[in-house]
Amino acid sequence: MKQTGKLFAFLLLATLSVSLSVHGDPYNYLSPNEINERLKSLKTASGVSATTHLLAKTAGERELLLLEISGGNPEGSAILVVANMEGNYPLASEAAVRLSELLANDWQEMLNNHKWYIVPVGNPDGYARFFSSPSSINYTNNRSVNSDMDDAFDEDGPEDLNKDGFITIIRQPHPEGKWIEVESNPMLMKKADAAKGETGKYRIFPEGIDNDGDGKINEDGPGGVNPGHNFPHDFQHYTSTDGLFAASENEARGILEFCFEHTEIAMVITFGRVNSLKEVPKSGRKAEADQSKYKVPERWAKRIGLDPEKEYPIKDLLALARDYTGYKELTEDQLLQWLGVGAAVNPAKGDLSYWEEISEKYNEFIKEAGLDGKRLDPQGFSSGSIEEWSYYQYGVPTFAMDFWTLPEPEKEEKKEEQAGITLDSLENMTNDQFIELGEERIDEFLKANDAPSMYTATMVISALKGGMMDTKKMAKFMRKNKKKDDAGGADEEDEALFAYQPDAFIAWQSYNHPTLGKVEIGGQKPYAQLLPASDEVDSLLSKQLSFVKELAERLPSLSISRTVVEAVSSDVYRLDVWVANNGFLPYPTHQGKRSQRPAPPALTLDENNLTILEGCARKPLGLIDGSGGVEKVTWLLQGVAGSKIKLSLQSLSAGTDELTITLTEGETSR
Amino acid sequence: MKKLSLIFAIILLCMLATSVSSEKLRLTFDHFYDGQAVIDAVHDLHKAYPNLTTLQSLGQSEEGRDIWQLTINNPKTGKDTEKPGIYVDGSIHGNEIQATEVCLYLVWYLLDSYDSNPVITKLVDSRAFYIIPIVNVDSRWHFFTDAGDYNIGRTGMVPYDDDRDGLLDEDGPDDIDGDGQILRMRIKDPYGNWKSHPDDARVMVRVKDGEQGQWTRLGSEGIDNDGDGQINEDGPGYLDMNRNWGFKWQPPYVQSGAGDFPMSGKVTRAVSSFILSKPNICFNFAFHNSGGLIVRGPGSKLAGMYPPQDVKVYDYLGHEGEKILPGYEYIIGGQDMYTTHGDFDEWMYSNLGIFGFVGELFMSEQERYRLLKKNADKDEEWFDGTPAIEKHKFDDNVNQGQMFSDWKEFDHPVLGKIEIGGWNTFTTRIPPLFMLPEMVHRNASLVIFTAQQAPEVNLELIDITDIGNGLKRVRVRAHNGNAIPSLSAQAVRRDIYRKDMFEITGGSIEVVSGGIISDLHMDRVSPKRNRPEVIFSSVPAFGTCEVQWIVKGSGSATISYSAIKAKNLKLSIKL
Repeated sequence: MKQTGKLFAFLLLATLSVSLSVHGDPYNYLSPNEINERLKSLKTASGVSATTHLLAKTAGERELLLLEISGGNPEGSAILVVANMEGNYPLASEAAVRLSELLANDWQEMLNNHKWYIVPVGNPDGYARFFSSPSSINYTNNRSVNSDMDDAFDEDGPEDLNKDGFITIIRQPHPEGKWIEVESNPMLMKKADAAKGETGKYRIFPEGIDNDGDGKINEDGPGGVNPGHNFPHDFQHYTSTDGLFAASENEARGILEFCFEHTEIAMVITFGRVNSLKEVPKSGRKAEADQSKYKVPERWAKRIGLDPEKEYPIKDLLALARDYTGYKELTEDQLLQWLGVGAAVNPAKGDLSYWEEISEKYNEFIKEAGLDGKRLDPQGFSSGSIEEWSYYQYGVPTFAMDFWTLPEPEKEEKKEEQAGITLDSLENMTNDQFIELGEERIDEFLKANDAPSMYTATMVISALKGGMMDTKKMAKFMRKNKKKDDAGGADEEDEALFAYQPDAFIAWQSYNHPTLGKVEIGGQKPYAQLLPASDEVDSLLSKQLSFVKELAERLPSLSISRTVVEAVSSDVYRLDVWVANNGFLPYPTHQGKRSQRPAPPALTLDENNLTILEGCARKPLGLIDGSGGVEKVTWLLQGVAGSKIKLSLQSLSAGTDELTITLTEGETSR
Repeated sequence: MKKLSLIFAIILLCMLATSVSSEKLRLTFDHFYDGQAVIDAVHDLHKAYPNLTTLQSLGQSEEGRDIWQLTINNPKTGKDTEKPGIYVDGSIHGNEIQATEVCLYLVWYLLDSYDSNPVITKLVDSRAFYIIPIVNVDSRWHFFTDAGDYNIGRTGMVPYDDDRDGLLDEDGPDDIDGDGQILRMRIKDPYGNWKSHPDDARVMVRVKDGEQGQWTRLGSEGIDNDGDGQINEDGPGYLDMNRNWGFKWQPPYVQSGAGDFPMSGKVTRAVSSFILSKPNICFNFAFHNSGGLIVRGPGSKLAGMYPPQDVKVYDYLGHEGEKILPGYEYIIGGQDMYTTHGDFDEWMYSNLGIFGFVGELFMSEQERYRLLKKNADKDEEWFDGTPAIEKHKFDDNVNQGQMFSDWKEFDHPVLGKIEIGGWNTFTTRIPPLFMLPEMVHRNASLVIFTAQQAPEVNLELIDITDIGNGLKRVRVRAHNGNAIPSLSAQAVRRDIYRKDMFEITGGSIEVVSGGIISDLHMDRVSPKRNRPEVIFSSVPAFGTCEVQWIVKGSGSATISYSAIKAKNLKLSIKL
């Protein structure tokens, strides 16, 4: 039986490899160079201009291009779309090319207020590897890195030993092996779980030989650094592929430089494996900066008479510090900096409510598009990613779209319903409701859903009460754990991929390896789990790309909304001016306020023919919430009744406005 | 008597002139070198010693000035990158000017003493020195040409919105009285918090509770250029080049002056590229002012703990430094001073595994006016870091009053009748000129002492033993007699470089096994399974690394030691 399965898979593969590209996928994705050519010669409707900018040359001598598309308002704010920053996700680049074509020809209304900057391939070197043969999952750029710190660079990469066009996995029967076949599907492998009485059988290696004779296989292949992890928020040092330091790579640096030169960028949208819309980015990461109470460094605490062990609310500390230094303008930010408080790592609370609303809209949109089938979880924001940087440091609203992940395989509903609770109903319960079920029913429920044995009712209840856990997190964890169990321990992705596309796996074939001896080669094809079936690509993209419009329409938009002139004395007037944000999103974001980006908008009063008795001619504004949020500016003016007053509003990326009013008692509303 | 000394002086001058013509270049340290003078000096040094120096521009600053870098290396004894490298720079903060003089003096002293002082000759022949006399070429240039004060000019010339009003650099200081300096402003105010000191009216002291005030301090000289009710709150810059480096860099809202992203400045980028091209650098000095400090990292908690082996290296050199520089203190930046993110020395150590010190040149305590044996009573009130009265006495009687500009009345366009005065630009953080020669020499001596401690590895055969069956055991020792290891423990634990490589080769030998000897006397070895002929390790400070091979065959063989930060060696043996 096993044999025939193998044979069948082999035959299938043989026929496929004749007719299909190296990836076993007939969809003809454009290579980085082809994309660049396509964008350079992009045809546009009249009134639309499209130009390309070279942001960087990669180590592999490839061009990292940005396409600028503008129409009615070339001076307006801009939306930056960056696709395929990690270079491993063809669908993302394809989406960016399509978006470019749509904006240039069909979506001219999207150019009335904004212009668009589109980077179709953030990591051209890495993405070029997708098109190389044999196919190998490596999407680093071409920077030469001595991964194994020996006396040679890039000297031990993979080899396609069995000449099937794919770099897959070698498994070697070995007493030290930790891997076994999945019982229900011997094409798949899993780690043996000694606690379940399983004994490891195979050692596994990537397909290749030990070129440099150091006992390791493929430990120093070509490349490189993943520029998608090379951005400066929460950058991780001492990893194998994130780079020596943040912005060390031309790709990341080129994009960063462009963004800081183009302060009109009001929003960043990424296309890649991350989705920030299906679920809003997670909160609850640990960091000093997200607490509201702070310790004072010992040497200062002593001087001021505080307890260095105690935590004080920031408001109290601010009052104290202002008093102590005599510097009344000291801001909370300055104090936080002085206290040595680090960077934010959780989305600002004020922003999350906006994100949640957009997420809700997105999920409705996906449902209407008929794409709401259960699928594997997309990636979240990762350390050093462009998404983290653009939100936490650049301070603009940032959304990530992934378009697709493997569908979750259909499963039989098992004993779940016992105890009268399902994982779904758990999710909708409050902590207290769940605790009220009582220990007995909770234990029953845990058992029915294959919770790990350490999860007893007592433990769960105390965790819920102590705030270490909530019903939502618990449901998520149990679901994940259950998935694993349902798949007989197989990797969730392996299992989903097998269900979706069985020929994504190459049957194990025996091979005589020069150093490992008798082995088998097979397993998952590179990139297979990142490729939707080619006949789905069109509809996936055409259905989802229009959500980009929804996002663009939510940008903040400032205007002078109302003025009131009140006579105070002869020739003395009080002028109140309201600036309103008629867009949906706040300006800046709450995180932007903290990270001090973008620069604040300002309302300026033309001083001609006037004397300002109170107030400054130019007044920088603070954060203005969306949906009609306002900030009021007040001046006390001396001037001749009836003279004209010119007001102007400037902002980097939320529009500008002008209004001339007359110095007489009255009100204007717009 | 006077005449005689004049004649003597003329003769001396003539001798000097002839010595110049005989190609002995003399750099003097009786003045500070302004921007152009530094460029001239490095070119003169290179011209005078073309065989020992190379001079290059690493690129241009924000304002288009060249960043000059000078290498001292004797090519007759090998390429620079084959020797341990010592990197020295100065004035990454443009107002910390005397750091440049230390660099210039070091270069001149090494070159001038070469051939005449065997200690220096040996050092220059066995090390590479990389010197960048001015990192912040723009601001240090402006320090000499523009009206300023000793605190102005730290920044790189990248505009920044310091006061968060959406405008860049719109309200800097102004030399309103046109005296070429930015001094302090004060205004008569009976409700002010300050009064004149009863012993010296130039000094202001804080009033006690209930006491009548006399003055309100108004900060540095300037006007409210942008009409926001504040003076000088958004001056030129602000990229702090010493917060713009790549290790655990933090954005400006966490670390002020950090810049947009790591190495976003043109200069930091150019200098970092240069450093990355010289992996042989094993130690660096970055000179600053002031405080009289020898500072090592970590600069912040984010950098974590330094490995104890490396702390030992730092401590050894730091404590010697405290003796070479009496009064200077060896401290840990983030612990004994304040937290810094993205600073140069953290990048060098934590990211690249290169040891280094920040030298904070000069301390105001050196401006003494008191008996040496016992401490004079200290003034209670401090002004600019020195008991103000003593500083004035020092100025009056040791420096003949060159340091202070007395308070003068001035009609300020906004504030009305005020007074302007204070310590002059070339003071406070900067030593009086008569103290400069000793400062540059002692600090250059710390660099020289440290360079002498760069890893020097000797390779020796321990023994060759016949162990039967045609097998021979070969044991080799690499010994480093200096305080700096061939690789820092940081470099080793973080896999920053290839480790030192011991290799045995020979036409007719087969290497059966190889490994690092963990205990020579007990004959314990950690064997290496694959490629046993090549062993990767490092040689610690004041210590050894011993390796062994078991080989089959006879005849001659070569054992080679190749290191990134130490000289490569070869040893021929007969089996």
